[in-house]
Amino acid sequence: MEQKADRYVLNNGMVLLGEPMGGVESVAFEFMLPAGAARMPEGACGAANVISDWIFRGAGDRDNRQLGDALDGLGLQRSDSVGSSHLSFGAALESSNLAEALTLHADAILRAHLRDEEFMPARQLALEGVLALDDEPRQKVMVELRKRFYPAPLGRSTVGEIEDLERLSPDRTREVAKSCFDIGRTIFAVAGKYDFDAVCGQMESLFGDCPGPGSEALDIGTREGRYTHIPNEGSQVHIGVMTDAVPFTGEDYYDIRLATSVLSGGMSARLFTEVREKRGLCYAIGARYHSLKDAAGIMCYAGTTPEKAQETLDVIVAEFRRLAEGIGDEELDRAKVGLKSSLIMQSESSGSRAGAIGSDHYMLGRVRSLEEITERIDGTTVDSIVEALKRRPFNDFTVVTIGPREVRVE
Amino acid sequence: MQFERKELSNGLVLIGEINPSTKSAAVGFFVRTGSRDETPEINGVSHFLEHMLFKGTDALGALEVNEAFDRRGAQFNAFTSEENTVYYASVLPEYLLDITELWAELMRPALRDDDFDMEKNVIKEEIAMYEDTPTFDVIDRCRTLHYGPHPCGNSVLGTVAGIDALTADQMRRYFARRYAPNNMVVACSGNFDWGRFCATVEARCGRWQPQTVDRLLTDFEGTRASERLGKPSLNREHVCLVHTGVSAQDPRRFAASLLSLVVGDDFGSRYYWELVDKAIAEAASMHFGPLDGTGIFYNYLRCSHAAVPRVMDIVTGIFRGLLRDGISEDELTKARNKVLSALVIKNELPMGRLVDLGFNWMYLGQYRSVEEDVEAIKAVRVEEVNTLIRELDLSRFTQYSLGPTAA
Repeated sequence: MEQKADRYVLNNGMVLLGEPMGGVESVAFEFMLPAGAARMPEGACGAANVISDWIFRGAGDRDNRQLGDALDGLGLQRSDSVGSSHLSFGAALESSNLAEALTLHADAILRAHLRDEEFMPARQLALEGVLALDDEPRQKVMVELRKRFYPAPLGRSTVGEIEDLERLSPDRTREVAKSCFDIGRTIFAVAGKYDFDAVCGQMESLFGDCPGPGSEALDIGTREGRYTHIPNEGSQVHIGVMTDAVPFTGEDYYDIRLATSVLSGGMSARLFTEVREKRGLCYAIGARYHSLKDAAGIMCYAGTTPEKAQETLDVIVAEFRRLAEGIGDEELDRAKVGLKSSLIMQSESSGSRAGAIGSDHYMLGRVRSLEEITERIDGTTVDSIVEALKRRPFNDFTVVTIGPREVRVE
Repeated sequence: MQFERKELSNGLVLIGEINPSTKSAAVGFFVRTGSRDETPEINGVSHFLEHMLFKGTDALGALEVNEAFDRRGAQFNAFTSEENTVYYASVLPEYLLDITELWAELMRPALRDDDFDMEKNVIKEEIAMYEDTPTFDVIDRCRTLHYGPHPCGNSVLGTVAGIDALTADQMRRYFARRYAPNNMVVACSGNFDWGRFCATVEARCGRWQPQTVDRLLTDFEGTRASERLGKPSLNREHVCLVHTGVSAQDPRRFAASLLSLVVGDDFGSRYYWELVDKAIAEAASMHFGPLDGTGIFYNYLRCSHAAVPRVMDIVTGIFRGLLRDGISEDELTKARNKVLSALVIKNELPMGRLVDLGFNWMYLGQYRSVEEDVEAIKAVRVEEVNTLIRELDLSRFTQYSLGPTAA
């Protein structure tokens, strides 16, 4: 199947990307606004979460209920999210409803009413979302881990901070929304069944009059401590471990991706084998590569009962370090076929393609073809991976635990 | 799209939906067994057995099994519910036959003692993990409370004490009774060759011996009891309500699934506008859970402990309003659009299609195309949903709450 890439840039800098897919009736789209958690002003962590709710509480000539009903009638599978760099609004739907869905989203993004009386429930939901995270230690430990691993403000909580949320006023939040909704730096991606000329024409008329891009500069601070324990009287100790890796844009990126797969790509990978199969320490154990534009790491989660927590952490760290000692040919072959297969299978979903092309553009300034990725995966060797690991060894680990017992971190 | 079916002489049914335009294929072994088929002495065995199938056969060790899947880039896993154990994989077409053969081989596991003892640890960790996941835990506990003496209340995971006491011999006897060819379906969807698929399965599974397999299929109206458990680790109140629903075989199941969206979809539903939009509850949803010969609706609500009385007032008000006035034409249209669009998106992927294909056969013994399901959803009328509301009486439910101890 031939892969096609559509691209069009509005005069103000807004980038429109598309990937048509054969044999599907669905379409997925994503607006990526440069209004992620790291983009919020100091003391306003969580404002993005409030804004993402507030802008849909009335926009254009529709009030809250009318806008909600209009969106609801389109059968959207919505997928809005706050990331480090972007606030994303997306959905998958039947292709015939695309134009109407874009019009409604443009209203919310450009012409939200942002009325005072709708601010309180939007902020209250964001606050309750932070409180609810306390009850889900498996997720909370990873939020706390990113916060400490990445230098501020890159790792900021994507759900928000209670103190900041409590201090937010409607006026302050409106100001934040105004400065962060920078259309000239917004990326729009669409994948599946669509007519690109029609999409471009519509987007031009919806967003073409917006001003050009603002500044992208961000002050990067320092990283927080190496080990944090958060007491909790639950059943397990939830362990998050993260260590530095080359970012997505780096030369060694594919080598590190393959190394991560050797560590935790499938059930035959090292962490699953050593931690679960041979020692029975955990049910949930896994590591994955996580990259922002300028910093990246390999993040690992394990959940285990208190008496096994120390051994679990020790085995995990030992496995990270053992990678640079060498990798078997068969291990690498499995890692390659696993990555390539999942890439092809993900390419069958319009939602995952829209997300992938948007993220590629943000990270690299261009969209990689599946062919290019496959070639680069095939181009890695045991030697190239071991060399890459030696150039940037896994020396330092940021660790967060939540649960009834602390661990010792060397 | 082409449907195929074949039954082996031992009762094993093979079904396939071939779609040459997809880039992958998905295969699944669906076994009609789960916690409702367990006695109290062996509670948790279905799920534990699912783990043990990955430990290999007389010819294959556990690590070799994992390598065999990973060598073909398979995305594979399994799950166990109250009444089904499903093993599945999605792969590129060139690996489908290898993976089908591997699954078929694994369906006759060695169940070695040392693997059994080691995996017990993993099972107990899984139980502990779900204890720390109140969104899951509260629904599980509420289902158990709702079903009372009915076997659909059996816990899928079991308890730590029960798992400790379970023996490998008990598991072997359960396996021999339940993993019979006449109690399983092998399904495949996507881009694959039907003839070669059948030959692969038949070569591995054709000599399995059929068994007499049964299941208690009584319905149960529910205990309508109410309980709360305080936990020091929690700061939110997690509330689950379970209503009596209709079964997976009941023609009213389409109306039931639309009703659950009208009442409790994440966005735009009655719960959304009355509870979430106003920030009285942070999460509120309703799902329809059809089962073999019985069925439930489960509702999940999350809010502060202090807000519970207000939330429950609103929820019971919604139920009373539904009983009094029914749903509107507009609500039904929106719910229908949501179901249809979800159906289309899900079925574009071979893996999404496999699940519907397999379960339609397990529950109905029939093939249903996506188009047939689309037509069935489109045909539901407001009056059918309103009749269902009256028949089920949503004002009566079982309630379980998990929340902070200090409350």
